[in-house]
Amino acid sequence: MIIEDEKLICNELSKLLENNNYEAVILKDFKNALNEILEVSPDLILLDINIPFINGEALLQNLRKESNIPVIMVTSINSETDEALSISYGADDYITKPYNPNILLLRIGAVLKRTKTNYNTNGNELIYKELKFDSQKGIIKKEDIEIELTKNEMIIFSYLLNHQNKIVTREELMTTLWDNSEYVNENALTVNISRLRNKLKEIGYVDAIDTRKGLGYILS
Amino acid sequence: MKIGAYFKDNLYKLLVFIVCYVFNLLIFFAFKVDRSVIISSSFLYVICFLFILLIPYFRKKKFYDNLLANIESLDKSYLVLETLSKPEFYEGELLYQALYEINKSMNENVRLIEEHLQDFKEYIEMWIHEVKIPLSTLVLMSNNHKEQFDKKTKLQLKRLEDYVDQVLYYARSENAEKDYLIKEVDLSKVIKNVGLKNMDDLLENKIDYIVENVDYKILTDSKWLEFILGQIVNNSIKYKRNIDNSYIKIFVQEAQEKTTLVIEDNGIGIKKSDLKQVFDKSFTGENGRNTNKSTGMGLFIAKNMCKKLGHKIDIESKYNEYTKVYITFAKNKFYDVLK
Repeated sequence: MIIEDEKLICNELSKLLENNNYEAVILKDFKNALNEILEVSPDLILLDINIPFINGEALLQNLRKESNIPVIMVTSINSETDEALSISYGADDYITKPYNPNILLLRIGAVLKRTKTNYNTNGNELIYKELKFDSQKGIIKKEDIEIELTKNEMIIFSYLLNHQNKIVTREELMTTLWDNSEYVNENALTVNISRLRNKLKEIGYVDAIDTRKGLGYILS
Repeated sequence: MKIGAYFKDNLYKLLVFIVCYVFNLLIFFAFKVDRSVIISSSFLYVICFLFILLIPYFRKKKFYDNLLANIESLDKSYLVLETLSKPEFYEGELLYQALYEINKSMNENVRLIEEHLQDFKEYIEMWIHEVKIPLSTLVLMSNNHKEQFDKKTKLQLKRLEDYVDQVLYYARSENAEKDYLIKEVDLSKVIKNVGLKNMDDLLENKIDYIVENVDYKILTDSKWLEFILGQIVNNSIKYKRNIDNSYIKIFVQEAQEKTTLVIEDNGIGIKKSDLKQVFDKSFTGENGRNTNKSTGMGLFIAKNMCKKLGHKIDIESKYNEYTKVYITFAKNKFYDVLK
């Protein structure tokens, strides 16, 4: 759910989210913000601090009395004090405008993952066709064949897997890697992808990762 | 108050006294007064005169000596009035009153200017928040409609954002009031954020971002430090050399009392003659003039911010070889005890 009073940002933001397989709802009535939130009961809220009638921090405080819905504060005020305040009111993350859209998506993913693993402790295992992928240990398993991935390959593979059947740009992969403190350059990314391809080929998945020229990669 | 100078200043009294005394002697002689009377009255005269001369000196000396000594010892000498007790002689009272009035009017003026400055700063901050709204809309649009916006637009948007941030932090760092929050911060996280922010620029310019051994916790304001590192990384990008293996290397040198963060690049470096002035306001130097992209403000603001946060910033460079920037964070033992 997007809580933001700037129409254009709302529209672009919901477009961005919908392009990435999220369902976006925009808050309509700022006067009854709290009721509307509870009614929609979203998985996550992107909350601006400067909103009409009630400011974002106060809204967050009120919300926390009723519910634990994850909240990411999105604001143009870039200060440590405001961040500390928001976190103390119960925000799960704090992002300043103008944000890099890829990073915003990563943060959303991270917050959702963090809050969901509370219910399901087995959240580290992903499944691709007959493969089991343990993203914690970096191991791909097919029946009893095990293949170990390097950290970079693992980051790339889990990102592709989370966006299966969608074109993933090099930029998205790059941002994900850098966000995991792996500051690779363009060549290294290409090398990592071809290594990952070879490893998948070894266990019988030829052309699992397809290159779309000028656009990116797709895991089918 | 020097006694010699005081006597010199009161020389006219001595002259008046001598003239009067000479006339007096003449009168005594004319009336043929007895010699013993002349001697004893002369003695009285001189004693009287000395009292008249010296009593005011000692009355004033205490006040003026205090005044001068306090002006000397105070670092804000305009506060001297607060340190003095009200004098008990007329001249002193006049001076005291005058100083009081001058002080008051100056305080009012300073307050007015401070208010103006505060208003201006608030306006700048507000303006920056406002301008970031269309800016973020543009960033989102450039991401959602890649067919209309190419990579160049994105890089230009980032430049715009950098300049806006520079104004924000300039306003914050120049302001007397505290605008930061010091707490324990993961150095690696700050470095990551700086990297992510400059990723496109770094990749576009084929500069490797090498980060080694930075898992330290330091005491700082993470936003401020992010900005400071951003300025340094930006400079490294701006002043890279045309070679194949350009890099920016960030690492920590740990010592007992302090943690030093080093940001090293193999860019064009800084000439020795310019090195001392790189932290000066509006200084662009030869590199800045050659590239025409320099405002000369980045490092100046960075240095100011470091000073406020209590970090030390130094620079070392060899022309056409490398530039190294050192930021030193002191370790706080008191904080360790608290933990």
